[in-house]
Amino acid sequence: MDRPIKVLQDKKSYLDLRRQEKVTLLEILDRALEKGVVISGDIVISVADVDLVYLGLKVLLSSVETMERLRGAPMPGATEEPT
Amino acid sequence: MTLKLYAYGVIDSNEKMEESIKGLSEASVYNIPYRDIGIVVSDLDPQAQIKNEESIMRHEEVVEALMDRFTILPMRLYTVFSGREDLLLKVKDHYEDFIKNLDRVRNKAEFGIKVIWAGNIIKERIINAHKSESPSADPTRAGTKFMKEKFEKYKIDKEFEEEADRCIAILDGFLNRIASEKKIEKLKTDNLLLSASYLVDNEKRDDFETAFEVLRNSQGGDLKYLLSGPWPPYNFITLSHPEDGKLGGLDLVETLLQHKSSGRER
Repeated sequence: MDRPIKVLQDKKSYLDLRRQEKVTLLEILDRALEKGVVISGDIVISVADVDLVYLGLKVLLSSVETMERLRGAPMPGATEEPT
Repeated sequence: MTLKLYAYGVIDSNEKMEESIKGLSEASVYNIPYRDIGIVVSDLDPQAQIKNEESIMRHEEVVEALMDRFTILPMRLYTVFSGREDLLLKVKDHYEDFIKNLDRVRNKAEFGIKVIWAGNIIKERIINAHKSESPSADPTRAGTKFMKEKFEKYKIDKEFEEEADRCIAILDGFLNRIASEKKIEKLKTDNLLLSASYLVDNEKRDDFETAFEVLRNSQGGDLKYLLSGPWPPYNFITLSHPEDGKLGGLDLVETLLQHKSSGRER
């Protein structure tokens, strides 16, 4: 199954893909941990939403900035689907 | 050992799943019907370790596979029921809500936009402008100094927020006309100017992406953008009587961090 995210990149090295996966994971956590249908059954396994989302944002900022620095250029114009 | 039920989402079909989808721990995904809707689940060994990156990705992959075929209300991550009866009791309580929400998000998908600006530099500039405008308070009068500093901080924060509001109004004005609903969060951190979710009709997906491209290309290099999607409509589900089952704690964060530091980054 394709992962849904489109990250702004003009080329995909191995490191780019690894970073893209990280950002995808954070985007999923941003939604699936904090949002969605909540009808708690007997068990809802512990979810550290606030802290994790905050943590995620810090990592996200860092990852976007790192992507840009490593490429040595501002965000390019092309948007690509991941492979 | 009694198996639990791990729930992925509520769909607008009560029919048996035709295609085989593998869920958490490689268990088969199936549909539990209730009236004209269904709750998609897989069996879960209560001892199984599911607090890891693989399970999170699998949850999302299942939800997205379902999204291609049905209208779906995705469950929050790690929603587990002790059995079919327990699950059906909960669904019965929320049935009307589910129908309303399914109608609302039918043929629509969520897109995420994050916009980063140099908030720290902008704030610094505002602080410097204030410093040059107002002479420093008499340091010998502690009370006066304290009050003045408080007031200065208030003015700086207010000015910073106003600047953010101006930028967001332009960005949102561009995207909002294509979306049917939106959720906007301003300044989650000083640098994260905008974190927004837009609910977009499937027929307008291309228009939305084009609008985003135009917006991004028109802003020069001052703002950095992240577009993600199409997502299941996580941000656009509203229940009349939400039950928040979160227990708190940092164990999931710790588990993920341990997982990451154990050599996945090569």
